[in-house]
Amino acid sequence: MTLALGLLAWEGISKFFLPVIFPGPLELLDRIFAIYSDPASYRVVGQSLSRIFVGFIISMLAGTAFGILMGLKRDVEIFFDSWIMVLLTVPAVCWAFLSVLWFGISETAPILTIVLIVFPFVVMNIWEGTKALENDLIEMGRVYKADRPLMLRKVLIPQLTPYIFSSLRIALSLSWKIALVAEAFGAGSGVGQELINWFQDTRVDMMLAWGASFMIVMVLIDRLVFRVWERRVFAWRPQFAT
Amino acid sequence: MKGRADGVKSAALRAASIALLLLLWSVASRLVNDPDVLPGPLEICRIIATDLATVGPEGHSAYFDIGITLARIMIAFVASMLAGIGIGLAMALSAALERVLIAVIPLLLTMPSILMVFLAVMWFGFSEVGGLVAVMAVVTPYVAVNIFQGTKATDKSLIEMGVTFKARTPLLIRKVYLPQLMPYIFSAFRYAFGMTWKVVALAETFGLKYGIGYMFFFWFGQFNMTQVLAWIVIFVVLMLILEHGVFARLERRAFAWRDARRRPSLA
Amino acid sequence: MMSAPTMSEQTARPGASILTAVAVRNLTKTFAAPGAAGRFTVLDAITLSVGEGEFVSIVGPSGCGKSTLLNIIAGIESHESGAVMVGSRAGHAGSQARIGYVFQSPRLLNWLTVQANIEFVLEAQNIPRPRWQELVAKHLALVGLAGQEPNYPLNLSGGMQQRLAIARALAIEPDVLLMDEPFSHLDAITARKMRFDLLDILAKARTTILFVTHDLSEAVFLSDRVYMMSIRPARIFKEVRVDVSRPRRPEDSRILDLEKTLVREFFGALEAK
Repeated sequence: MTLALGLLAWEGISKFFLPVIFPGPLELLDRIFAIYSDPASYRVVGQSLSRIFVGFIISMLAGTAFGILMGLKRDVEIFFDSWIMVLLTVPAVCWAFLSVLWFGISETAPILTIVLIVFPFVVMNIWEGTKALENDLIEMGRVYKADRPLMLRKVLIPQLTPYIFSSLRIALSLSWKIALVAEAFGAGSGVGQELINWFQDTRVDMMLAWGASFMIVMVLIDRLVFRVWERRVFAWRPQFAT
Repeated sequence: MKGRADGVKSAALRAASIALLLLLWSVASRLVNDPDVLPGPLEICRIIATDLATVGPEGHSAYFDIGITLARIMIAFVASMLAGIGIGLAMALSAALERVLIAVIPLLLTMPSILMVFLAVMWFGFSEVGGLVAVMAVVTPYVAVNIFQGTKATDKSLIEMGVTFKARTPLLIRKVYLPQLMPYIFSAFRYAFGMTWKVVALAETFGLKYGIGYMFFFWFGQFNMTQVLAWIVIFVVLMLILEHGVFARLERRAFAWRDARRRPSLA
Repeated sequence: MMSAPTMSEQTARPGASILTAVAVRNLTKTFAAPGAAGRFTVLDAITLSVGEGEFVSIVGPSGCGKSTLLNIIAGIESHESGAVMVGSRAGHAGSQARIGYVFQSPRLLNWLTVQANIEFVLEAQNIPRPRWQELVAKHLALVGLAGQEPNYPLNLSGGMQQRLAIARALAIEPDVLLMDEPFSHLDAITARKMRFDLLDILAKARTTILFVTHDLSEAVFLSDRVYMMSIRPARIFKEVRVDVSRPRRPEDSRILDLEKTLVREFFGALEAK
C-alpha cells in the first residue's frame, strides 16, 4: 500500500523535471529495458561481476585465515593490529587511484582495490569472533585431548560460522560498492564505468538505470544465495526447525 | 606483575610492527627504484613537509585544504548524527512514520555512496550543499536505524519502576531512557564517523573544489605518485588520530559503569 | 497455639495505630481474554486493609495476580471496579500518598552510582535538594550499605542490589512500602539473612508494609497479618493474625505450627477448586 503511494508520488514529482534530470519510475523502467535489450550490456555487467567475485573470494579466504590467526595468537594480534587499522582507514577512492597508477587500466586494479578494502574488514570481523569464542568449550576439548586440527574443525569453525556468515554477506555488499568506485576510475569497462560516463554526460536517467538495475541484481544474489544457504547451515538452531 | 610486563611487551611489539612496515616500504621502493611507482617513506615525508610549507598548485596552502576537509567532515557528521537520532526517535514515537521509513531506509542503505555522490552533485551542483547532501544521504539512514533498534531494546521494567516512584517524563527520559540508548548512539557514532570521512573524500574527489580529496584527484591527474601518496598519508594520519585518539577516549569514559562485570564489546 | 483468627485491634503490634494506611474494597480487575469473547477476571472483589505501622502479607501461588494487585495500589495499573485508598501520613503536603516499591528484581539504573540511584527517586518525588545528602546517607547506613555512594550497581552482589532497592524505597519516607516477592530471586542463604535484616530495618524505620509472596513461611515469619489468596480468579479466602511477639525466631514453635495449619488450609482451598 505504502509502496503504491510512494511510486505515485515519485511519478508525480518527476513530472516537474526533465527525465534526464529527475526520471520518474516509468522513464526509469524504459531506460532499464533499453539497456538490457542490448546484448553488449550483459558483457559489461559480467565484467563487473567477475571482478567482484574474484576480489570477494580472495578477501574472504585470506581474511578468514588471518582473522582466526589474530584471534588465537595474541602476539600476532598485537603486531598486526596497527597494519589492519591503517588499511581500514584508507578510503576506497585512494586505493582506486593507487591501483590504477600501479597497474593501469586493467582487471588487476579494481580487484586489488576490492581486496585492500574488504580483506581488513573480514579480518576484523573474524578476529572479533575468534576472541569471543566460548572458553568453556575449548577447555572441554583440551580435557579430552583433542588435537589442533580436530579442535579447529569441530569446535572453533562451527562457533565461527555465524561470524563467517555475516562477514560473507557484508563483504559481498561492500565488494560490489567498492567495485563501482574502482571501475569509475580506471577499469575501462564495467558498470562503474557506465556510471561515471553518464555522470559526465549529465544523464541522471541513464545513470540511475544502470545503478538501480545493478543494485537489484546484487540484492537478488544476496537473497537467493544467502537466505537459502543460511537455512541449511543453521539447521541445528531451534528457529529453523520445521 | 604480568600486567606490567605484558604492557611493555605490547608496546615493543607495536613499535616493531610499525618499524617493520616502514622498513618493508623502504626496501620495496628501493627495489622498484621508480618514484612514479613507489616512492619511499623519506621522500613522502619530504614532500609533505614541502607541501605544508609552501603554496600549492591552486594558489593556497596545504593547511587550507586540510582545514576545509576537516570542516566538511565535522559539519556533515554532526548534521547526520542529529538528523539520524531525530529520525530514529521519531520512528519510535510514530508508528506511521515507522511504516513509511522501514521501506525507504533499506533502499538508501543499499545504494552505493558513489551513486549518492553523483546524484547529489548532479542535482545540487558542485557545491558544499551537494557534498553535504551526499554524506547525509549515506550516513543518516544508518544512524536512524541504529537508534531505532536501540529504542526497541530499552528495558520497560525500569520505566515502570520510574513510574511507580511518580517520576515525570522529562526525568524518565533523562535518567532512564537516554542512558540505555547511549551504547547505540555510540556505536552509530563511530561507524557514522568512519562513513562520513570516506564519503567526504569521495565527494571531494569527484565534485568539490579544495580539500584533501580534491588534491588526490589533482595529483592523480598529473600522474604524480609521490604527491598522491603524500596526501593519502596526511589523510590517514589525521583520521587515525581522530578515530582512535578522540573516540576511544570518549567511549571509555562514558561506559565506565559497565566495566564492572561485562567488558564493552568492540563497537 | 493459635486461636481462631481475629481482627482484634487490641493485640495489634505496638506502635501500630488504628489508622488505616491502605484500604482496598471490592477491587475487581479484568483483562480482555485473548481469542475468547468477554473478559477474564484477574482480581475478584478483593477487600483488604493495612493499618499504619503494620506488616501485612498477601500469600498466593505464582500467577494469581498478586503483582497486579500491588501495581493497582501503586497507581500504575487501572481497575474496573472497587475502591483503593492509600492514606497519607499527617504532615505530607497534598493528598498524594508516598508509595515506595521494591520489585522482584532490583530495577536499578546501572549507569548511575548508588547515590544517584536514590537521588533519582528523590527528584521524582519532588523532595527538596538540600535534604538529599542526609536522606541518602541515612538510608544507605540503614540497609548496611554505608560508604557505597560512589559505587556502581553492577559491582554489588544480588543481595546488596536488593538492599539498595530497599534503601531507595525508604529514602522517600513513604506512607506505605509495597514489596513484590523481593527475595525470591536471591539464593536461600542470602534471602534468609535479608529477612532478618528487613525486620531490623523496619524496627528502626517504622514503615507500613504490604508484602507479597508465594512463600508461606516467609509471610508468617515477617508479618503481623497474612491474607491468603487463591488463584484464577484471585480472591482473598482467609485472613490470619500472627500473634507472636517480636523479635521472632524462625524456629519458634508457634510460627511453625501456624505455618503447618496454613499450608493445610491452602492446599484444601486449592483442591476445592
